[in-house]
This record gives sequence, C-alpha cells and structure tokens, in this order.
Amino acid sequence: MALAAPQKIESYLGKLRARLRGLGNEEINDIIEELRSHILEKSTVNGELGTGHVEAALAGLGTPEDLASEYMTDAALARAEVSRSPVQILPTLFRWASLSVAGFFVLISSLVGYLLGAALILCAVLKAIHPQSAGLWSFHDSSGDLNLSLRLGFGSAPSHGHDVFGWWIMPVGLVAGLGLVMLTTRFAIWCLRLYRKSRRHSEPKPFVRTGAR
Amino acid sequence: MNVSHEQENSDKWEVQLRKGCLELATLAALWDGRLYGLEILRRLESDSDLVISEGTVYPLLSRLKSLGLLESEWVESDGGHPRKYYYLTSAGKRRAQEMFGIWSRFSSSMGRLLRPLTKGK
Repeated sequence: MALAAPQKIESYLGKLRARLRGLGNEEINDIIEELRSHILEKSTVNGELGTGHVEAALAGLGTPEDLASEYMTDAALARAEVSRSPVQILPTLFRWASLSVAGFFVLISSLVGYLLGAALILCAVLKAIHPQSAGLWSFHDSSGDLNLSLRLGFGSAPSHGHDVFGWWIMPVGLVAGLGLVMLTTRFAIWCLRLYRKSRRHSEPKPFVRTGAR
Repeated sequence: MNVSHEQENSDKWEVQLRKGCLELATLAALWDGRLYGLEILRRLESDSDLVISEGTVYPLLSRLKSLGLLESEWVESDGGHPRKYYYLTSAGKRRAQEMFGIWSRFSSSMGRLLRPLTKGK
C-alpha cells in the first residue's frame, strides 16, 4: 500500500536519523528539522501537501544512505580538522570503519598509534610514582630470547631485567608519546581527506541539469 | 561511440569545474545577508547557473558551519514551519574575500591564455 505524503516524509527522515547516529543529538535534530522544513516548503502547493511533490523533493535530496554519508564525512572531517583532537577524530573513524574496509584499517592503525602514545606518556608520568618498576624493560625469557616490555609500574619489575632508559623515560616517554599522538592525528586526517576526495569523484549527481542554460 | 565518449568527458570536466566553485559561490550568495537553504539554492541557480542538488548543498552548509565560516539561526515563517537561516561569520567574510582574490587572478590569467580561442568561433 502506498504511503501518504506525511508518512513518506517521516519514513525518509526516520531512516536518515538512524544513519546519522554518531553525530551529537542536537546536531542530528538540527539536520532533521532543516530537511523537514525544506521538504514541506517544496511540497506544499496552495496550503496542500502533494504526494507527487513530496516524492520529487525526496528524490532531490537523494537516498537517506547517501545523504547521511555526506553529512557524516563532511561535518565530522570539518570538526576533526578544526579541533585536531583524538576525542573528535576517533568517533569519526569508528563511523568510517562501519562504512568501509579502508576505514576499518585506518581505525585499527590509529588506535594502535593512540594507545602506544598514551602508554608512553603514562609510563613517563608513573615513573615518578613507581620508580622501581615503571619504564621500558629488556629481559631474556626462558628460551633465551630478548624481550622488551613497557611497564606502567603496576606489579613488579621483570626479574634480571634491565631498565633501558632509567629516569630518562620521563622526558623520552613524554616527547615520544606526544609525538606519536600528533603523528597519528595527522595520519587519520590525511586518510579522511583522501576518503572524502574519493567520494567526491564517485559522487553521482552533485549538479542537476536544466534545459535553460 | 566516440562522440558520446567525448560528451561524457566534457560533462565530467564541467562537473569538476563547477564543484570547485561551489564553496565560493555559497559564501558569495550569503554576502548580502542571511538566507535559508532553499533560498541559497535559488540564488545560485538564478545568479550563477549553478543548479545544485539539494543533497549536496545541505551537507555543504553544515560543513561550512563546522569550519566556523557560517552561523545559523532558526526563524519562524508564515508557512507554519521554521526556517534555518545562514549568515557569514567574520571568518567566513575573510575566506570569501580571499577566495574572490584567487578567483579574480586565475580568471584574468586564463582569460589572456584563452583569448586566441575566440578567433576560432
């Protein structure tokens, strides 16, 4: 059974809202209300909502999937570029990972970069609290192989281990950790820009042709 | 076959060219004062021959707002539904002026280069 005009609008906006998950609630509501206003204005003729006009207005916006993808990449990338903060970038990467394999690999690489960076910074800070066990330790395991272990100081130091940096872990850990976080952020933004560029090139119809030129 | 391939390439080039102008055109449309989404679309269509799909312009407005180039406000309308009006921030005005300068220099130098082609018409 064909849906009535108001139901078509709500069904479209409902699908779009579901796909915008990951943006803030206030931002999602703003987008939905703006598009509702646009659809109503384009579809109302002499105070009446016409089904044909609603269909044309929805077709002009594209599918909810494509439109949501535009919003997600555009707005999220802009926010990430402005703030350059991992707190802004990681939710964008999680969303991208749910959309493509490339996004998944960028997310995994970025997570590794951020976690290692955070571990180095933490190790540097915790060396002051746990000087006997925090640090980068080298030791030989039971088979005689050399191992490296970054310890935050919770638990004991490896037996017969060597504290590679000693107190130097404090400046070295801070510089290396902060540097790694910054490099990971630059890498993530660079990958997001590439993704947006590739989407733009494969975009179906950003412009609508008219007869009158 | 070749004719349709040439036409397709020409269409792609035109789309890329228009895409490149979209951000400047949107900022320029708002230079004289605030407009809402549909007004921006109509303004671009009537003043610049840039007929953009609605699915392109709304995410673009959202991005320009995230970049701090635009601000928005909701205003009640006679039609019974509120409209979201956009206006340029001071950063948006600076960006528009900067892009206009680049556009003018590029357009003038390309004009010199392309002048001989007018003789072939």
